[in-house]
Amino acid sequence: MAGSPYDPSRAPVAYGRRAVPQLFSELQQQEAPRRVRALASLCDLLRDPERISCTVSGGFLEQLKVLLKDEDSIVRAKTCELLHLLTAHRIGRQALLSSSFLPHLSELMDDSSSSCRRNVQRVLNRLTLMPAGAEALLTLVPKLMLKLREEEEDVQVLLLSTLSSCSCLDPLPALASDGVSLLLHKLSDSSTDIRREAAAALMALSVCEDGMRQVCEKEVLPVLVNLLRDEDVEVQANAAGVIMYAAITNEGKQQCLDLDVIPILLSLVSQDGEEEKDKERKKALVMYSLRALTALAEAPQGRCLLLEQLPLLGRRSEAAEEDQDIRRNAQNAVRVITWTPCNTGDL
Amino acid sequence: MAYVSPTKRDQNGSYTFSSRPRPVEDRSKYREAPSEQTQSNYGNIMYDRRVIRGNTYAQQIIPTTALPDPVEVQRQQEIRRRNVAAKRAREQCRTRTPEALQGRKHIDVQTDLYLEELSDVIVASDIECQTDAFLDKPATPLFIPAKSGKDVETQIEEGELFDFDREVPALLEVLVGKTVEQSLEEVMEEEELAGLRAQQRAFRELRNNELEEVLRLKEQERRRSKEKERRVAQQKEMLRKEREVAEKIAARAFTQQYLADLLPAVFTSLRSHGYFYDPVENDIETNFFPWLMAEVNNSLEKRYTARALLDTIIDDVAQKRQEAFKDTQ
Repeated sequence: MAGSPYDPSRAPVAYGRRAVPQLFSELQQQEAPRRVRALASLCDLLRDPERISCTVSGGFLEQLKVLLKDEDSIVRAKTCELLHLLTAHRIGRQALLSSSFLPHLSELMDDSSSSCRRNVQRVLNRLTLMPAGAEALLTLVPKLMLKLREEEEDVQVLLLSTLSSCSCLDPLPALASDGVSLLLHKLSDSSTDIRREAAAALMALSVCEDGMRQVCEKEVLPVLVNLLRDEDVEVQANAAGVIMYAAITNEGKQQCLDLDVIPILLSLVSQDGEEEKDKERKKALVMYSLRALTALAEAPQGRCLLLEQLPLLGRRSEAAEEDQDIRRNAQNAVRVITWTPCNTGDL
Repeated sequence: MAYVSPTKRDQNGSYTFSSRPRPVEDRSKYREAPSEQTQSNYGNIMYDRRVIRGNTYAQQIIPTTALPDPVEVQRQQEIRRRNVAAKRAREQCRTRTPEALQGRKHIDVQTDLYLEELSDVIVASDIECQTDAFLDKPATPLFIPAKSGKDVETQIEEGELFDFDREVPALLEVLVGKTVEQSLEEVMEEEELAGLRAQQRAFRELRNNELEEVLRLKEQERRRSKEKERRVAQQKEMLRKEREVAEKIAARAFTQQYLADLLPAVFTSLRSHGYFYDPVENDIETNFFPWLMAEVNNSLEKRYTARALLDTIIDDVAQKRQEAFKDTQ
């Protein structure tokens, strides 16, 4: 418990309103151990949103900026942890963005202590919960991509998650820093989390034309088809997402058909052996697979294959299907497959 | 007094005094007569410059001029000189006792009613006083006041002050409560964040879904419009070619028709211009006929000449006959 005199790792906490200001004045002391203790107490206190609003409105954030440049690495790591707690609430996130912490945080990404770097990545990850935060981080995307090559596994997961949030807003910076090749490398990593986040980031990147083109050129599709057979549902879903975007272009359609991806997608869409609790998690997977099939049905070879499989899709598009989105997707797919030129009004 | 610097008059006429710090000299009680070296001028206090005159509420501040006015300086010097001169004059004019006659000496005499013994030696007596040495004092006895009031005693038995079962729950509640509160806050925070992330994820899924549809339809539209353009262009090309072919056919037909009777016409015109000729006929025409004609002409010429001759002869004859007739008449 914070502030107990029997806890040597924490500074004593004043009562009520004085707690936070007193701890911040303690932070200005010269000796590093006292600062570490004060930071530990602050970490305990700032779980409470009222304390956070007190910190933000009291203007103590400037002091934290100074502490970020402290010589002691424990102090820096603890300060980043404190910022991480601040970002748990909207006030904190907004305050961080408006006080221009980003340059300092980007400097700290090159810090020597790994716990400090990890905490910085956690802060950046939480900042992307806000769209304004993701927008502000767009400028840091090239640096994040550089860091992706060097860091350890759990930090990589954080980095990839940050990157995918930023790229959802604007994929161009990541594409410019050669994101597709880097993410391709990460797709075949042994850790499930990394694969999942890399596939999600790739899906965000392949939304724009340039990304789709690069995905087709750089031979990403074979790896993705492998990922469709992965164990984790989310990895499968993200891989299906990338395929669905890539299959929009003609090149992508051709490559997908060459790789014989339609049976795999059909097996994902089929309903046999599905339990109730899986349906929720598999919703994204089924949706993306249906969309991918729709895109592939526009190619003549795909259409031939899919015309035979119409009953399967028909089952999904009936009223028996509870999920409205899946039903709509399946109906769409059926419509595209059975399209003939005389059906359409225009053209 | 040896360390006193002479009293100077400052340039403004203000008085300065400075002396080095010196320890206090021990003097005898009664002062000796002042030595001749002292320069202290005892003056009338009324005319002492050190005493401030007049209203002190608005004191005149000594003006700090770097260079005093030369006029001022000169005036001060003049005043000084005048004072000295006046003093010297006063000294000279002072009437003094006339000198003693030869062999005689002046002595001082007291003229008061009661004579005083004047001597340099001052009668002084020294008295000393010393306290006794401190005697050893025995220890003061302990002061025990007389007993008054009632004696009362009390004793705390075990278990009276602190009842474990009663006190500890309160403490424990606070400890456990604070810990649980803290952990609840942390859990709520994490839940909130997880909720945020889940919401974001759900939104992202739907967005991806719709976005894919949008992009696919856009691509489809692009493909179809490209296809349409290609077909339209193809059709235009085809029409153009057809038209060209039709024009060619029409041109051919027209030319054929135009040139149908070209050949006979050409032949006719050539023939009419004499390009096709029978060589015998031509030969006859070119060679024979002119000769024939020339011969005919010749023979006709001959005939004509013969006829002309005949004419002339006839004429002659007629003439002659006429003449002859006339003659006969």
